[in-house]
Amino acid sequence: MVPVARRNLFAEKGRFAISVAGVAFAVLLIMTVLALYRGWSRTGQIFQEMPGQLWVVQQGTSDPFHSVSLLERADLERVASVSGVQTVVPVLSRQMSLGATGSEESVRLMALDASAGLPVTPEVRDRFLPDRGTIIIESILSRQSGLHEGDRAEFGDLSLTVADVRPAGSEVLSQFAFVNFEDAKRIFGVGGIVTYGMVVVSEDAGVPAVAAAIADQNPRLKVYTDEEFATSIRKEIDESFIPVIAILVAIGFVVGAAVVGLTIYTATIERTREFGVMKAVGGSAGFLYRIVLSQSAILTAAGFVAGLLGSLVVADLAARAVPEFATDFQARDIAAVGTAALVMAVIASLVPARRVNSIDPAIVFRA
Amino acid sequence: MNDELLRVSGVTHVFGRGAAAVRAVDGVSLAVPAGQLLLIMGPSGSGKTTLLTIIGGLLRPTSGSVIVNGVEITALSESQLVPVRRRSVGFVFQSFNLWESLTARENVELPLNMAGVGGSRARERATQLLEERGLANRLNFRSRDLSGGEKQRVSIARALANEPRVLLADEPTANLDSTHGLEIMGLLREIARSGGSSGEAGAGRAVIVVSHDQRIREVADRVLWMEDGRVRDIGHVVRDPVCGMGVEVDRAVAVVLEGRTFHFCSRGCSLEFLASPERFLAGTREGRS
Repeated sequence: MVPVARRNLFAEKGRFAISVAGVAFAVLLIMTVLALYRGWSRTGQIFQEMPGQLWVVQQGTSDPFHSVSLLERADLERVASVSGVQTVVPVLSRQMSLGATGSEESVRLMALDASAGLPVTPEVRDRFLPDRGTIIIESILSRQSGLHEGDRAEFGDLSLTVADVRPAGSEVLSQFAFVNFEDAKRIFGVGGIVTYGMVVVSEDAGVPAVAAAIADQNPRLKVYTDEEFATSIRKEIDESFIPVIAILVAIGFVVGAAVVGLTIYTATIERTREFGVMKAVGGSAGFLYRIVLSQSAILTAAGFVAGLLGSLVVADLAARAVPEFATDFQARDIAAVGTAALVMAVIASLVPARRVNSIDPAIVFRA
Repeated sequence: MNDELLRVSGVTHVFGRGAAAVRAVDGVSLAVPAGQLLLIMGPSGSGKTTLLTIIGGLLRPTSGSVIVNGVEITALSESQLVPVRRRSVGFVFQSFNLWESLTARENVELPLNMAGVGGSRARERATQLLEERGLANRLNFRSRDLSGGEKQRVSIARALANEPRVLLADEPTANLDSTHGLEIMGLLREIARSGGSSGEAGAGRAVIVVSHDQRIREVADRVLWMEDGRVRDIGHVVRDPVCGMGVEVDRAVAVVLEGRTFHFCSRGCSLEFLASPERFLAGTREGRS
């Protein structure tokens, strides 16, 4: 088959390039915003990466960032007696100012009491259990604060050595840093009070059943699964971010559809006579519509690929300039944007197709 | 008449209404058999192109009927007309109307694609049609890069792609110099006589040409004059078997030989013929009426 649509589009390369760029910008906007949303939605994931399956907090605690949980160690010791509980690890956690080479950064300081019987794997030790006098930070905090491995981080009168700078994680609302439990007690100035209890559930016990048993045992405690605890942080992002995302995606969609539509419409108007000739020599309405739709699809597909690649580049550059620009390009989002682009192509071809349908084939006899 | 490919009966077309109404075509009737090249001449605005548009199924007449290759196209719906335009009628235009972004071959291939012929079959057929018109070295040229004569030959090849029995040409020589104009008319005449392409079923075609060009009269079999929407026969044109010139039957020198009538442009040609008729009669019906 003669590739009429491709020939028509490529006959004017300049306009084709501009149109592809228009669609690409729309796709770039949609893709980047979605990836940013996905990236931010991973916030709180660190609670799912730690070895516990349940988090015990003081009743009334809504989430780790906006309310303070204060528990007595004795409460956690009683939790340990609940059937199905393998270990309860006392956890200290608090937002703190970290002093570094002439600047101060806010950081979520966390410390796990490994002495409570936490099964320690090398990975758990490397990520969450620094030795006394040391701190483990992530690369975003490193770039924000200028701290590198071996540098000193100040918490009041306590100075800790950066033991490791881990690759950037998923946390964007606040950076997490792990210190030794004994150092944390000194920094926070607490004695028998801890923030949370991280519960490791026995392999043969059901997590929901254990959670229910803990809650029944002590009404002053609230029990979250690790996913619920993480979700409580994401809730804030979802509530504030999703409406903005929806608007930006809608804008991107409209811009993309308008660019494709205007381009195809203009190309159709310019080739009115040629379409008239096609009708005169026996081109059916379906045949002509397929040409218009193909033009639209080619333009959209090229714009989609360019926009997708552009968004990957933009995300990379933006993350270098702004450490919190955490993105996550998911296959399902790429597929969804691809489908949306297809819909965009169909919508954008409707008006030009109507125009083609209305062309009088007798136009071919007009000089 | 045997193998009649086109019959127009009482076709009238009125543009506008009331006081502004214009009778562009007024009760036209004509018939064209296979093998005949009919030339319709007349001043601008006489209704020639409107008549051609109606014959091609691109415009519905106000009244009357058009039968193309046995099908009354004036009784067909718009969707039923599509295959008629695709297979029964071919168009050759004054301004060529080629698809600019396509190559010469693709211009011929596309109507084949519309008719459901694709791939190598369509390519081979397009190549054959263009090669027969002397365009073997222009197959992959963009149509915009071709000369006027070449464009018109591509246009003719395109018109023949789906082997229509009726070919309609609107001022096919208007944008060409005299050499190329005659060349094109020769092609159209050949198409009327033998189909214009090797290996096709049903040799002759009906070719209807609308033109101002007086030179075309030489190659036409029949000439109609159109004025104010009406047509009148101004000559049945036949070929002088001696010099090959087209001559109007009514004005030619006629000679009857063995019961057959031959027509000549001049007495000189008729005498030359009579001196040795077998020289001019071998394998031809030219000049006979």
